[in-house]
Amino acid sequence: MSNKFDPYPQSPPTKWSRRTLLKTALAGATALGAPGLLIGRAHAAGKHMDLESFRGAGINWRMAEGEKITIGVIPAGYFKNLEEVLPDFKTLTGVDARLEMTPPGQIRQKAVLDLSSKTGTWASHAADPMYYMLYVTNNWIDPLDDYLGNGKLTDEGWFQFEDIQPGHRGATSVDGRPYGVPYDGEATIQIYRKDVYDAAGIGPADTLDEYTANAAKVHNPSQRLWGCALRGFRGAGQNMYIYPSIFRAYGGEWFDGDRVTVDTPEALAALEYYVNLLNNYAPAGVENWNWPDIADAFGQGTVGSYIDAHGSAAVVANPEKSKVVGKIGFARWPKGPSGKRVTSIWNWSFPINGALSDKQKQATWLFNQWAGSRETQIATSYAFPGAYKRTGANRASLWSDAKFIDMMAGFGHNYTQAAIESFANDTDPDWRPRLPQWPAVGDTMATAIQSALVGQATPIAALKEAQQKIDKILKG
Amino acid sequence: MSLGRGPSGGMLSGERRFALLLTSPTLLVLLLTTTFPLIYLVWNSFQTINLAMPFLDGFAGFDNYVDMWGDQRYWHAIRLTGIYTVTSVSLQIIIGMGLALLIMQIPRGQWIFRIVAILPIVLAPVVVGLFWRTLMLSPNFGLVDFLLQWLGFEQVNWLGAPTPALISVIIIHTWQWTPFAFLVFLASLTALPPDVYEAAKIDKTNALQRFWHITLPLLRPAIVIVVIMRAMISLAAFAAIFAATGGGPGTASEILNLYAFKTSFVELNFGYGSALAVSLLVITMAVSGLLFYLRTARATKTAA
Repeated sequence: MSNKFDPYPQSPPTKWSRRTLLKTALAGATALGAPGLLIGRAHAAGKHMDLESFRGAGINWRMAEGEKITIGVIPAGYFKNLEEVLPDFKTLTGVDARLEMTPPGQIRQKAVLDLSSKTGTWASHAADPMYYMLYVTNNWIDPLDDYLGNGKLTDEGWFQFEDIQPGHRGATSVDGRPYGVPYDGEATIQIYRKDVYDAAGIGPADTLDEYTANAAKVHNPSQRLWGCALRGFRGAGQNMYIYPSIFRAYGGEWFDGDRVTVDTPEALAALEYYVNLLNNYAPAGVENWNWPDIADAFGQGTVGSYIDAHGSAAVVANPEKSKVVGKIGFARWPKGPSGKRVTSIWNWSFPINGALSDKQKQATWLFNQWAGSRETQIATSYAFPGAYKRTGANRASLWSDAKFIDMMAGFGHNYTQAAIESFANDTDPDWRPRLPQWPAVGDTMATAIQSALVGQATPIAALKEAQQKIDKILKG
Repeated sequence: MSLGRGPSGGMLSGERRFALLLTSPTLLVLLLTTTFPLIYLVWNSFQTINLAMPFLDGFAGFDNYVDMWGDQRYWHAIRLTGIYTVTSVSLQIIIGMGLALLIMQIPRGQWIFRIVAILPIVLAPVVVGLFWRTLMLSPNFGLVDFLLQWLGFEQVNWLGAPTPALISVIIIHTWQWTPFAFLVFLASLTALPPDVYEAAKIDKTNALQRFWHITLPLLRPAIVIVVIMRAMISLAAFAAIFAATGGGPGTASEILNLYAFKTSFVELNFGYGSALAVSLLVITMAVSGLLFYLRTARATKTAA
């Protein structure tokens, strides 16, 4: 039954900033010698987790006892759940770890400033996988194979790093060396109104052209139903999160030798597809929409279909927010002309700040291991006592765990299947160009895509200009 | 050294030295917080500092400035900055003046308008940008779009199409800062000598003549000050545009300050970003210097 699971949407940043403020104030009060304040909120030791299974690991969890570390994360449900079970980490290790909620628009800049100035403010942070090349080029973070291979720090038989989704491990490795422990990941999938599609006698699209045809068929703005929506807002993590899948599905290649190519015929065909689709069948304003806007519109029943992270299902299937609960269907990405379906390999992961002391690094590694461990993954997803149970669990073994699959079944038709198959078959390591200059390249592409979408430039002119700029960026 | 030589003497007198001693902490703080970062910025603009390619870092000479010359996006940003500043300052002066003249006709209750006028000014620009973005200008749900469609006009995608987006950010800036011009003009109008107007009325002048030949010349100092202050702020505008459009769509509202910010903090190219910021600084200083020069030049001419 769909109401067996009552998903809790990711709260908007404004709501959280107040909470973060409150927490900072509380933390301050604690530091001033009023530790009793936090007790009411803190959970009893080991309440969420069976700490015995951790203690079964062949390492000394108390090796960094007494250390204090701060970890930057975004105010999203999946990190909120982690924060709820964080007291268990302290009980286990004696390390005082604190999560600092930072809006997604600022976490990258803040991390880069911290890492480049070597202040060591954030022992670890929720890292964008595309930033690893930049971090590693500057030697800002530690390679993790030194930690994984050290029997004193890691019991590989217990931690089972290999169990973490290979796509996510690949995305957080550079030249084969791991640099981050993935915590939460997502695949992009097709999300559609099953009732509307059924009434129109169509099913989810198998190809990108079919996707356009479906959008055309259900598009009826006079009845306040638009055919589809994709992220249109400018940003390396917004429109440049969706376009790369289309680019790759059209057979686009980011690299020609060392050169990054963005003005190839495949790139142009992909951009024209995106521009035509959105200009013809998406609601006005889509060029400024990121995924929450799309999920809201879909939840209000004004959009026939969208393609985005599987985690956004938690919003559109939430009865408190959505009017389309029980009417939602899911499917994998449509195939492009190249025959490929390409999903995102997005994930949030935890690196180790290289500017820390050895003791702090140990504490951070314990935290990373704890957060990435199977036990914590379970404790923050289906075993989580709160309403929101996260769907981005990172471990392959969890995706075949009956309890996890049960939890996911509540979202709608074919949800679990679509997500599992996407993870298994549609991940593409070359989804986006991995290079240290990604922040500049990603933003240049984002600007070009949006320029083309709003008609400031033709697709070909936008891509030519982006190519010129990217050539210059890479030359230095 | 003698005590009688005064300020032009080679050494400082005991009193002046003491004064300098007393002000030195303030001067030092000012130096550290304003002058030093400025010098550091200029220094950075002659360096290659790119976090994405740290191996290239080093002294760059004038490379960053030469790059600017061939950078289309830079010239595009300059053009937008010019349009943005000229139109928003003109609108502020014209509307602010009109409102002030109108309110002057009201015999009592002017204070209400003064208070209402303060409101937009005290809001943080980011709040203003977000407020316009979500409540006023968003398609279908925004107040402006709602009113326009209710009046039977076509839907305009204010923040989603290039030209309307530029117009929107100009309107937002004008909305927030016209009250400043209005308040200055209102204060100046209240202070104008009534006898000049009485004399003019005896000479049978009409209202337009009185405005053109009396009010406007007398308000000139106030107008010049408002133009200088507003032009300086408009040239360096940032927060409201950042919140409303982020410089987009595409680069349609990306004025120079936003481009400099993006170059430094999104693309992580601090050398080039510093050079862009220095160029904005030079432009702002040149424009305000010119305006000040025109003001004093005219003033001395009138005086002579």
